[in-house]
Amino acid sequence: MNGPIGWISKVTRRVIPSPTAVQPVPQQSTLPAERRRVDLRKAINAVSDVVQNRPRPLRIFDQIHMKTGDMVLQSEMIADWADQKRLAFIGDGDAISVCVAYLRARDVLNFGPSHITVFDFDERTVEAVMNFADRERITNLDAQLYNVLDAMDPGERFDCFYTNPPWGASNNGESVNVFVERGMEATGHTGEGVVVIADDDELEWPKRVLASVQQFSAREGFYVSRMQRKLHEYHLDDAPGLKSCNLYLAALPGNKASRQSGAITDPRRLENFYGLSQEPRVRYVRARRRLDYGVAHEDEYELEFLEVSGE
Amino acid sequence: MNEIFRPNAGLLFMKIGTHAREDLKAIIARKTEEIRSTGFGMWGYGGNTCHPSSMVQPFAKSFEQRGQTIHLCMEQMLSNHFAEPLCAAEYSADGMTWHEIPETIRVLGSRYALVIDQLREERFILPLNQTRVPIGPSMGRLGSRYIQGRVDKACLEVLEAPELTNAADQREIEINLVATLQAPYAVFLRGQR
Repeated sequence: MNGPIGWISKVTRRVIPSPTAVQPVPQQSTLPAERRRVDLRKAINAVSDVVQNRPRPLRIFDQIHMKTGDMVLQSEMIADWADQKRLAFIGDGDAISVCVAYLRARDVLNFGPSHITVFDFDERTVEAVMNFADRERITNLDAQLYNVLDAMDPGERFDCFYTNPPWGASNNGESVNVFVERGMEATGHTGEGVVVIADDDELEWPKRVLASVQQFSAREGFYVSRMQRKLHEYHLDDAPGLKSCNLYLAALPGNKASRQSGAITDPRRLENFYGLSQEPRVRYVRARRRLDYGVAHEDEYELEFLEVSGE
Repeated sequence: MNEIFRPNAGLLFMKIGTHAREDLKAIIARKTEEIRSTGFGMWGYGGNTCHPSSMVQPFAKSFEQRGQTIHLCMEQMLSNHFAEPLCAAEYSADGMTWHEIPETIRVLGSRYALVIDQLREERFILPLNQTRVPIGPSMGRLGSRYIQGRVDKACLEVLEAPELTNAADQREIEINLVATLQAPYAVFLRGQR
């Protein structure tokens, strides 16, 4: 396997002595010939730009941000997996979508998706993506305000989808399945997907959720093509050691949608959606308009002036 | 075992000490008076380990449905808490509908508060290896493995028996102070007065 983790971690180790240098290194026979080494400093600083632009998470909607180092590795993996494909993000509070597009636009990576669209119900996220894409002139990145409970109409079909949804600890993974279903619909049930979900050997619920998602995917005509275990850590105070995996799904040959996309209203699917007793009640999180986006808010500080002599 | 620590009971464990530059003795005296004059008190806290609406409320409600009361079990510790002693003005159970905090209650330097009554000194041993986290992303994790590092508070359920391990430290915690949670159990705070 041209394992992206192995690849970037090898690169990481070699880059450490001279992190600023972009050194041409002979291609390894295991790497695709057209791909070159990653400048780790450039990659981290690019992801840092994205993190700076990212709205703060809302815990009531299970928005929990991935740690920055893991975002760098994850972005490279996803760029590799979705190279030259149309990629839909079904929700993306982490801003992996922006990282993937930005790393390509900055030429830190010389591969990546041909187009990325983010579907998210948080207008702050949508605006952050659109503003960043505009500022950095990233023409193949956009975002749409979309609630996952509404029918999915992706317009032009996507080749693959990515989702890091609410992890479904209290509903046996049903909230994950809802996001996965929308991802499958975005690809016309013929593409591939990456699902980022909890992965822990000690706890029972992540195992049940993984089983539930795999069963749901099989019913929808998808199979698990691979799994990368315990890859990511999060800024999650109440489960600081909890990690997530990448679960790769792919449609079976000739797979077709069994139904048209429709609104999800079944109370059984909505119960405990964002955690125990946390049913969805909000269609969109709307952004408050402010002119100081990206810098310190005026309500964070006040100025105490130097004393002027003679006064 | 006692009335609070018994199998299937729910409790909220919290380490306590100086908060917003006010020492614990002064806080206890102030909260005792708040409960006497108002009928309930608000015990301020912060962090993300006991989020009011996604953790404490569903946890407490699930035990309330079983006819049980949730006890707040507190372990005294030495701490410096340098948060500004700003007095919150409003509280909300759901983050949407806000109410003025009664004049008789002052919650300082906190984003959230537990709604409490029957605050009292009570000493007993809480074996964390006989508890587990019943809700949230750490659901199922043993209390003794959960309460460590930055995690200093937790919703816990008492198990029938402690986990049998060879661990040198069985994590037996001395509880010094106890209160009872009252609906709506935990609230969001905002504003200043």
